Amino acid sequence: MARFSVIGIGNVLEGDDAIGPTVVRVFEARYAAGDDVAVIDGGTPGLDLTAYMMGLSGLVVVDAIKTRTGAAGQVQVFDKKGILNRGPIVAMSPHEPGLRESILHAEFQGVAPPQISLVGVVAGSIEFGCQLTPEVRGAVDGAVEAVRAALAGMGANPVRREPPLQPDLWWEKPQPT
Amino acid sequence: MSQRITIDPITRIEGHLRIDLEVDAGRVARAWSSGTMWRGIETILKGRDPRDAWVFTQRICGVCTTVHAIASVRSVENALGLEVPLNAQLIRNIIVSAHAQHDHIVHFYHLSALDWVDVVAALKADPKAAAALAAGISDWPGNSEKALAAVKEKLAGFVKAGQLGPFQNGYWGHPAMRLPPEVNLLAVAHYLQALEIQRKANQVVALLGSKTPNIQNLAVGGVANAINLDSPAALNMEKLYKVKDILSEVQAFITQVYLPDVAAVAGFYPEWFKHGAGVTNYLAVPDLPTDAKATRFDLPGGVIVAGAAKPEVISGWGKDQPFIQKVTEGVAHSYYQGAEALHPWQGETNPAFTGEWKQETPAPQKYSWVKAPRLDGKPMQVGPLAQVLVGYLTGHELTVKYVKAAVDTVKAIHKIDVTPAMLHSTLGRHAARAIRCAMMGELSLKHWGLLVENIGKGDTAIFNDPMATLKPGTTYTGVGLHEAPRGTLSHWCVIESDGKSMKLKNYQAVVPSTWNAGPRDEKEQAGPYEAALVGNPVADPKLPLEALRTIHSFDPCLACAIHTHDADGQEVGQVKVSG
Repeated sequence: MARFSVIGIGNVLEGDDAIGPTVVRVFEARYAAGDDVAVIDGGTPGLDLTAYMMGLSGLVVVDAIKTRTGAAGQVQVFDKKGILNRGPIVAMSPHEPGLRESILHAEFQGVAPPQISLVGVVAGSIEFGCQLTPEVRGAVDGAVEAVRAALAGMGANPVRREPPLQPDLWWEKPQPT
Repeated sequence: MSQRITIDPITRIEGHLRIDLEVDAGRVARAWSSGTMWRGIETILKGRDPRDAWVFTQRICGVCTTVHAIASVRSVENALGLEVPLNAQLIRNIIVSAHAQHDHIVHFYHLSALDWVDVVAALKADPKAAAALAAGISDWPGNSEKALAAVKEKLAGFVKAGQLGPFQNGYWGHPAMRLPPEVNLLAVAHYLQALEIQRKANQVVALLGSKTPNIQNLAVGGVANAINLDSPAALNMEKLYKVKDILSEVQAFITQVYLPDVAAVAGFYPEWFKHGAGVTNYLAVPDLPTDAKATRFDLPGGVIVAGAAKPEVISGWGKDQPFIQKVTEGVAHSYYQGAEALHPWQGETNPAFTGEWKQETPAPQKYSWVKAPRLDGKPMQVGPLAQVLVGYLTGHELTVKYVKAAVDTVKAIHKIDVTPAMLHSTLGRHAARAIRCAMMGELSLKHWGLLVENIGKGDTAIFNDPMATLKPGTTYTGVGLHEAPRGTLSHWCVIESDGKSMKLKNYQAVVPSTWNAGPRDEKEQAGPYEAALVGNPVADPKLPLEALRTIHSFDPCLACAIHTHDADGQEVGQVKVSG
């Protein structure tokens, strides 16, 4: 059973929202994370996210973020307290419980990971489409390193692959005309 | 003077459901439902190999990944006239029925029960009395006095610390909350148990689908689960028995906890059997095929017009089914170009955004990114209620069995006679979902048995090659049908082939929430959400709990994309009242 998980959140069909899945796939291609680390392209799981964090000692989430001040492509790392800095929402649909609500559900059950880190990348465009904007594409390397640092800080030990593997970013494959 | 209420949970950047209400003398007079995000899957799929389409479509929605994958492979198979080996049908059936159980349980306990359950009031409950009450309903071990006392203590700890966790935004103490403390305590206990059970139901999807949230075992023409009962790498006896154990455990929860809970809660709110009917035309398609050619099904399909007692039966997935030609999508009130309602095979998705809707009433001409699907020009309600009504009115044995179980439970607890006519309502949708969940539980175990029996005969076939019968210079049209947790899902495709390869010329997904949450059409007929809200009471416009009850009863699922974390902590308005 994995003690740590890296979960990339986001919709690969929605422009910069693909940053979460992209970063975890690039991370997996560059690093052998170790047997005790599960690397998951989580899509947009809503409340199902709770199930993926149950009983872990450490969780790293990669997601697109919005902020009032940050520029597109900026990488910001939050700890558990920073993620939970405001109340949950009244959800209309199963998507709306987000990271914050999923953690709170896990807390209530007593199964939330003690260490949680959010590697957030400020999104530029989230229009329909399968490509990142140049600003956010430029943030991938930094975000991958932030994931590695977060895992190392929790006690996991990802090892760099030499040479790296090719990441499977299948959604970026161009459409035949 | 009328008041305007907008329910708009704008904590995610975009891509969600917005509801606008006009309230007059404490009742909803008019309602509008709008989706706030453009979704044009066909622009992404055009030109691609139809065998790859399901990998993309399952990313349309992060919650319903599996259903979009299934509908997509079925669509291409339907176009090519391709049969699927029996093992593949059955493996798919077990996956979709396990997914449905997971989805229905999450919906009731984690997304909508808080509309009816006052969590804080559970602190006033006597665990002994709650255990005694529960013992009269079922013999579920999680209802013991000890277990309930532990839940109460845990809840008290959260409240004492001022940290209500996921519950902190509920409408606690709202005058429309009416459960006794003991029932509230049972509900909180079951909320916690349901978190574990729904995870287990999803484990079945992962075991057979190779992975969740996005399954990987599908292929146009079958599945990729190599069957070898003795191989650790394949679908073997050990995995199959694990699947059976989990399904049995989930089914026990559904029949001993979920179904009785819905009956118990419903009986305390009998007036909600009168609110929320709205559109009483219903559509459900047959599902869970039991043969390779998909001519026999374990879930019945049909169309009900204006609550009629005799549904028009939909007997299969063939393109000769009359309803197939009668589906259209209108855009008169949606942000797309075009005037005429089009059949999905001719469907277009060219955005024509005319500006954001502010606060004016009535709504501007165009007010939603959702199209307005119609069957023979009529709005249709889809979902578990449609499924259950079609089954019940056609005498489908399994449906009748669980409808009777639900009706008997309400009667035993509350001495209330629920008639099938009362199902056309907000509570009817909740009851139907629990009934359908129990059916899916029983059917998943049945299909597990059919699969093991078929493998036992020596049949290990899992795949038919879609390329084998391609003809040059041919255009194929197909529709993939799936009765998903939220109702009828259809993926429509047009494929061109030169005999050696194929590519998609058009692709349209008509999803359940489009049928239910769609806007008015060119004839100004309201969609099911919009119609169901009219007449609902609203006691406090700032806390429109009653409107949420009706909307939640549909199990809305519109936000098919954006999951962006809002890092700033600025307050975002969820409910606006004006006028």
